[in-house]
Amino acid sequence: MKTMAALLIVLSAAIAASTVTEQQLRDAQADAATWLTYGKNYQGWRYSPLAEIDTNTVSRLAPRWIYQTSVGGNHETTPLVFGGMMYVTSPSNHAYALDLLTGKQIWHYHKDPPAGLNLCCGQPNRGFAALGDKLFKVNVEATLVALDARSGAVLWERQIADYKKGFTATGAPLIVKNKVLVGIAGAEFGTRGFIDAYDAETGERAWRFYTVAAQGEPGGETWAGDSWQRGGGSTWITGTYDPDLNLIYWGTGNPGPGMDGDVRAGDNLYTCSLVAINADTGKLKWHFQFTPHDTHDWDAVADPVLIDLAIKGQTVKAVVQANRNGYFYAVDRTNGKFLLASPYTKITWATGMGADGRPLVVPGMEPSETGTKVCPGLGGGHNWSATAYSLDTKLFYFGTADGCEIFFRTKQVFREGQWYQASTESAVPNEPLTGAVIAVDPATGATRWRYDLLTEHAAGMLATGGGLVFTGDAQGYFTALDARTGKPLWNFQTGGGLGAPAITYTVHGRQQIAVAAGSSIITFQLVDGK
Amino acid sequence: MVILLLVPAAAWAQTANNPPDAEAAAGGGAAFRPYCTPCHGVRGEGGRGPDLTRGVYSVGDTDADLFRTIANGVPGTEMPGFAADLRDEDIRRIVAFIRSIARHDVAGIPGDKVKGEKLFWDKGGCGACHVVSGRGGRMGPELTRIGPQRSLQYLLDAVLEPSKDMLPGFATITVIRRDGTKLVGVERGFDNFSAQLMDVAGNYYSFLKSDVQSATRGTRSLMPDQYGRLFTPAEIDDLLAYLVSLRGAETAR
Repeated sequence: MKTMAALLIVLSAAIAASTVTEQQLRDAQADAATWLTYGKNYQGWRYSPLAEIDTNTVSRLAPRWIYQTSVGGNHETTPLVFGGMMYVTSPSNHAYALDLLTGKQIWHYHKDPPAGLNLCCGQPNRGFAALGDKLFKVNVEATLVALDARSGAVLWERQIADYKKGFTATGAPLIVKNKVLVGIAGAEFGTRGFIDAYDAETGERAWRFYTVAAQGEPGGETWAGDSWQRGGGSTWITGTYDPDLNLIYWGTGNPGPGMDGDVRAGDNLYTCSLVAINADTGKLKWHFQFTPHDTHDWDAVADPVLIDLAIKGQTVKAVVQANRNGYFYAVDRTNGKFLLASPYTKITWATGMGADGRPLVVPGMEPSETGTKVCPGLGGGHNWSATAYSLDTKLFYFGTADGCEIFFRTKQVFREGQWYQASTESAVPNEPLTGAVIAVDPATGATRWRYDLLTEHAAGMLATGGGLVFTGDAQGYFTALDARTGKPLWNFQTGGGLGAPAITYTVHGRQQIAVAAGSSIITFQLVDGK
Repeated sequence: MVILLLVPAAAWAQTANNPPDAEAAAGGGAAFRPYCTPCHGVRGEGGRGPDLTRGVYSVGDTDADLFRTIANGVPGTEMPGFAADLRDEDIRRIVAFIRSIARHDVAGIPGDKVKGEKLFWDKGGCGACHVVSGRGGRMGPELTRIGPQRSLQYLLDAVLEPSKDMLPGFATITVIRRDGTKLVGVERGFDNFSAQLMDVAGNYYSFLKSDVQSATRGTRSLMPDQYGRLFTPAEIDDLLAYLVSLRGAETAR
């Protein structure tokens, strides 16, 4: 296989190169020693061919070092690894460079977030992007900052949007050619979402794509009156990129206000959608809307993963997503044509899909004054956490929450910078949400196995050539599952809930696993012997 | 505090609180539903949380007391703070809603709490599993302050149908060891790889699931469900009168 041959070459060549080139990002899958971009490669696979840790040896996996950030809040970072260093971001505008061998802190970046932030969901950060000798991250007050990878010194910082209006930034940027792409959060505050591209060298904005179509634009007719101005459509999880098609794929969040759909009659394009954008111009190539006129907060921000699928004897360039609305989807990534959708959890709001992928909606499932029970709940289904695709098993792995919630709505007057969701949801009495890790065959949508959890799943996925899937649970267990069966083969109690995906790389040729748990970064390696 | 609880709530309402605001109360009702009904009931009639329609509040009776309680919660109880979820104006509306549903007709409990106390410790044997002011067993929930924490209906249901609403952390753990012996107790911990429990004698056990035949968590309470037969209706009233009187340090005075 082509990638394996390339792997051997790069393995021997990639000793502590402390810069990242555009070519390296394109070839990231072949370089198993490093972790250069959010999804491991541009396709978002989070699969590494490393196989020293496998279904047999994993029983000897043990901690190697632990770095304690001492920063509170959910750690959702995907660390980057290159040049003998691990680069991690923490909540509340903290970031670190750690010595890969020992975990020793080399530098620490911090900027106090301003007072009076309008936050939906805390101050998490999901990681760095790297190009040349620069690192890029967003700060929670909706800025993009470029750091010198060697020192942590700030090279430039740009305001993406006005945090006083409710914008925040939490996702890892994506490098495409010489540009830094970022998304935005804030749909709970009546904002209008977008995806931005900035010049990596100067920080100048190259283009902006609004995820909410304005009046007069194509798609603008899907918003009643001027409701598009508060239309939401956040873009808080990193997209993927197909260099051959020169298209960027990015998921968009819920329309605003979340629970009161009456004030925004129409499909509300391009919320709860997947958009394919020209990487150079920022122009829309196609869109696919999963949940037209959403009223259940079912963001479609989850990883859009690029896989060439064999469907009915044909190889199709597909993009797949485990959507928050309870369905797994595959869409043709060249043109946005619907391929298949399959439920992976209990669904009561739709009975299936039309031929074009539009859901067949069950009437009476909208939020109400007295509460409407709907499955899945507000968080899904699968929410945002990182997914993985294994080249060995050809399975797609993701976590889910299983169960239902009660959705409420009210009438709310919009005030700039104030919470604008028009009510909320609550648990169903005596029906707590549970969760699972799920393996789906992306070519058919069929669920191959489930690993059940006591509570909803929030950690991400890592698939490896050792036949393993690494993930974690809210109870603090970091777990290795058999990628073929879902059977737990190894676990380690980290002492903190897991809300981040693991990564893998090598140190002196030995496979390492790293993951954020609680407020710490923990790395693992096989213990010698036997 | 004791004095406060004995004074009719309406007398305080006239001096310490804002006049009733129907519009604010309606808005508060909308905010009340998702956040408060899981414990306080759809109409504020109480449940796992106190009955709010009685117009008597153990946290203090001014609007400021209610606001503070909703914003910050009550330490040492299941009442969380909602300051992170709700804006100040919404909390004020919820306070207005709570005022609007208060009936101020504090009905007496028909039973005799002195007789109820004797039934609790003797005939009922409730003290085998429940602590009141330092006395009793540790397997079930502590009842030292249970009076203001639950509605009367909830207490009655809890006595007659213990499995109707299982408190988190009080599930029944059943472990079958490799040798086939069975151990049953109340949950002290449970996850995908281990189980911890306490038996009726107060012994603590911890198992890795890989070391035993099975370890399962059930939603049937370990509390006997025979009190409806054991006690006469009059005795149930007495027991409830005793439970309602349990107010922590105040009881001890």
